[in-house]
Amino acid sequence: MSHSLDAYLILSGLLFSIGVFGFLARRNAIAMLMSIELMLNAVNLAAIAFGAFTPSLQAHAALIALLVMAVAAAEATVGLAIVIAIYRNRRTPLVDEYASMRD
Amino acid sequence: MNLTTNELLVTLLLVLPLAGFGVSALIGRRLYTRAWIVAVPVLIVTWLIAMYLVYQTLFLGTFGDGGLHFTLGTWIPAGAFHVDFNFAVDNLTAVLLIVVTTIGMLVHVYSIGYMAHDPGRWRFFAYLNFFMFSMLLLVLADNFVLLFAAWELVGLSSYLLIGFWYNRRSAALAAKKAFLVNRVGDFGFALGIAAVWTTVGTFNFTTTTAGPGVFQLLPQALQSGAIQPWQMTGIALLLFCGAVGKSAQFPLHVWLPDAMEGPTPVSALIHAATMVNAGVYFIARANPIFSQAPQAMVVVAAIGIFTAILAASIAFTQRDIKRVLAYSTLSQLGYMFAGLGVGAYAAAIFHLMTHGFFKGLLFLGSGSVIHSVHDEQDMNKMGALWRKIPITHWTMLIGSIALAGIPPLAGFFSKDEILGSAFKNGFLVVWIIGVVVAVMTGFYMFRLMGKTFYGESHVDPEVEPKIHESPWTMTLPLILLAIPALLLGIAIGWPPDSGQIHQWLEPIFAGATQTLGITEGQFNFAGIDGTLIIIGAAAAALGVVFGIWFFGLFGMREKRSQVERLTNALRPLYRASVAKWWFDDLNDLIFVRFGGFVARALWWFDVRVVDGTVNGIGALTQDTGRGIRQIQTGRVQNYALGIAAGLLLIAVTYIFVVR
Amino acid sequence: MTPLPVLADLALPANIPILGWAWDDLLFLILAGVMLGCALFVVLGRNIVRSGIAMMGCFAALAGIYVLAGAVIVAASEVLVYIGAISVLILFAIMLTQTKSGPSELVFHHQAWAGALAAIGFCLLLIVSVVNTQWPLAGSDRLVASTSAIAMLLFQDSLYIFALQVVAVLLTAAVIGGVFLAKREVSSDPGEPEMATLDRLRAPVEAATADQPA
Repeated sequence: MSHSLDAYLILSGLLFSIGVFGFLARRNAIAMLMSIELMLNAVNLAAIAFGAFTPSLQAHAALIALLVMAVAAAEATVGLAIVIAIYRNRRTPLVDEYASMRD
Repeated sequence: MNLTTNELLVTLLLVLPLAGFGVSALIGRRLYTRAWIVAVPVLIVTWLIAMYLVYQTLFLGTFGDGGLHFTLGTWIPAGAFHVDFNFAVDNLTAVLLIVVTTIGMLVHVYSIGYMAHDPGRWRFFAYLNFFMFSMLLLVLADNFVLLFAAWELVGLSSYLLIGFWYNRRSAALAAKKAFLVNRVGDFGFALGIAAVWTTVGTFNFTTTTAGPGVFQLLPQALQSGAIQPWQMTGIALLLFCGAVGKSAQFPLHVWLPDAMEGPTPVSALIHAATMVNAGVYFIARANPIFSQAPQAMVVVAAIGIFTAILAASIAFTQRDIKRVLAYSTLSQLGYMFAGLGVGAYAAAIFHLMTHGFFKGLLFLGSGSVIHSVHDEQDMNKMGALWRKIPITHWTMLIGSIALAGIPPLAGFFSKDEILGSAFKNGFLVVWIIGVVVAVMTGFYMFRLMGKTFYGESHVDPEVEPKIHESPWTMTLPLILLAIPALLLGIAIGWPPDSGQIHQWLEPIFAGATQTLGITEGQFNFAGIDGTLIIIGAAAAALGVVFGIWFFGLFGMREKRSQVERLTNALRPLYRASVAKWWFDDLNDLIFVRFGGFVARALWWFDVRVVDGTVNGIGALTQDTGRGIRQIQTGRVQNYALGIAAGLLLIAVTYIFVVR
Repeated sequence: MTPLPVLADLALPANIPILGWAWDDLLFLILAGVMLGCALFVVLGRNIVRSGIAMMGCFAALAGIYVLAGAVIVAASEVLVYIGAISVLILFAIMLTQTKSGPSELVFHHQAWAGALAAIGFCLLLIVSVVNTQWPLAGSDRLVASTSAIAMLLFQDSLYIFALQVVAVLLTAAVIGGVFLAKREVSSDPGEPEMATLDRLRAPVEAATADQPA
């Protein structure tokens, strides 16, 4: 199983779906950010999987994964800073209370 | 364009009253008491021109049998639908001109006195001039479209003048009623004109440079078989519809009594002497069409004589002096149509002429009476006026005798000619009813005279000391009109059926008379003609005697108890007569109630269904918008769900549908 | 099929005795199970701190799978960056945004069911498309990518140099932005209460809008 690309890709897809569900369903903003991290990791896994089964692409895949990791780190930083800032104002981390753009 | 002198005069006949209307309308208000200063002289000049033209036509015969025809210019050059401003002056026109302009001028002079206290008199004179223009246009027109235009203009003038005192609700309603009822007739008239055009392709009455006219083409078409007899009858009946409306015959007679809401000069001019004669004039003018459609002639005669007896029966019980005269007008118009229907065209026109004069006299006289008792129109509140307003009384007496048909006054000659022709042409029923109506006419006219002038006074005691004769501007026309009432019959109506009037009108009606196969024998007093004359005169005298016996003469007073007994004996007839035979109620039921119901139903439909649909679409849009707005929740996760769902949809569609 | 060099010294049997699988497969399954289990715990857990810890476990398992796939550098940086930095950051943020009513609140929205459907849909879509595709693979599996190759790729190829620089700028901006956003401003005026920087940005706007009639 570990020798088939399909397995890795299916695994990546499952992880991504879990991340999608968490992003759409959770009320806590930090939980949403964690789900985003899961999704990013799923993408990384897919890239690495392709790289593992295509020798000419292996270094490329690793590089891509590293860069994605860096971006994910930056994004997590800023996102959490925003959440903390909003928390200071609204006193709640629950996103369905942040509805002032509705009316 | 080059016009001969005569053509120019005819044009002036039209232009002058129109200009008088324009000037009076524009500056009349500033003229105050002298509001008549433009209108009346214009009419006098018009009368002079008309008399000159009449002299040329009838006495000098300048224009020959065909008359003067000329075209002033093109009106509608629309290919096959070509209409010009055609005018014609022939003998028939000349006779009408006499009536129209003379009575018009006298009414204008009379109005100076009658309207002297009315603040709106500048409008009155403007409208009168406008009416004269319309009526002259009608009489002078030589094609159907121009005639129809003048027809409508006359109706408009009538509306304006009936509703002259527009702040009186009854007057406004009467004006509206007159216009609407006229419109009903005009609808048939317009259909008739359209039928004529589709049949022969032209509107002109007689031959012009453009080709033969309707009165030549239509009979030819019938002879050659191009149209069927029933089509000819249909055209004639449709054209007759217009006459029914304009001349207030049954069933469109309901507007004329209500038209008495207008000032008395209006009643005299329009509703006695000129406008209501337009129908008679038109049928006489269109005699080539009618003489080819005998069934239509029978209808004309039937409606005419029926209207005559109907109106006379209602005149028995009316209390308003003007209403009695209005119903009398209806009755006499019925006589004229009966005359046209039996083929006695010249007799009908003769009656038109005499009736115009003495009915105009009677109306103006009644106006003088009303003026003297300070605007009281109920005859039950008059009486014993004959010594106090002598000129009015004597002229009205002359008028009444003339109307009743007592020889040798004018009415006798014309009425007798109609009845005689009816009998001789085989319309026995018409003759019998005509004789009965003659009796009735005498009766109700002397009822009017008795109640108004004779017996004891029932005038309001406050008004009584102030009764005075009218000013000379009002009494002079009365005197002037009494003269033709006395003498016109003898002057142009003797011997019967071949008098001067018949010689004048012979070229117009020769063709029709020939078609109908009427032979004019020599007048023979000892034979049938004399018998008929005596019967007619006797009937009239009988009616007069009855009237005098019941209602008094000079000092003799009304026999109140006898009148009561007569009324009680004929109670149902009395009630029907007072209720005008319930025609107004019938019209109200059908058109106002039922029509109103239909109108309300349609209004409901419009509001609920049509507007409902439109508003519903608007509401639908609004609600949809309000609903869709719910998507804007302001929550990021909802939007993210939307993105996810959309992406999924696109991907699935791509995979499974496209590939 | 060669087992990993590490395991060669253990003189383990070539395949698992009863099941007949290879050791790699077993390892893969274990790691995959742990990863998915932790991921599920992250999204479904009621206590958010425990969700955070579960996420760390998920990353660890993921690192193991990277090793199985032969990307050792990536596994190492996964552990360093994700577990060591991002997870810690997240845990700090959780601590800072905790409310008293936190444990008793609802975990999911009303739209959680729709979200679940969407997620399942995605899952099925991906699996179906993956399974039905013939991947043009060339060569064998699980070569280990050498660090020098990656380094050469990074600094030789003009594309990745550019990406590197951009990411560097991005990281700098992120750091500055994060600090700025989360900073508490200490005002010079002693009477004025402390405001967050974001609040201080909003204050002039509020002052301006307060002038207008409500």
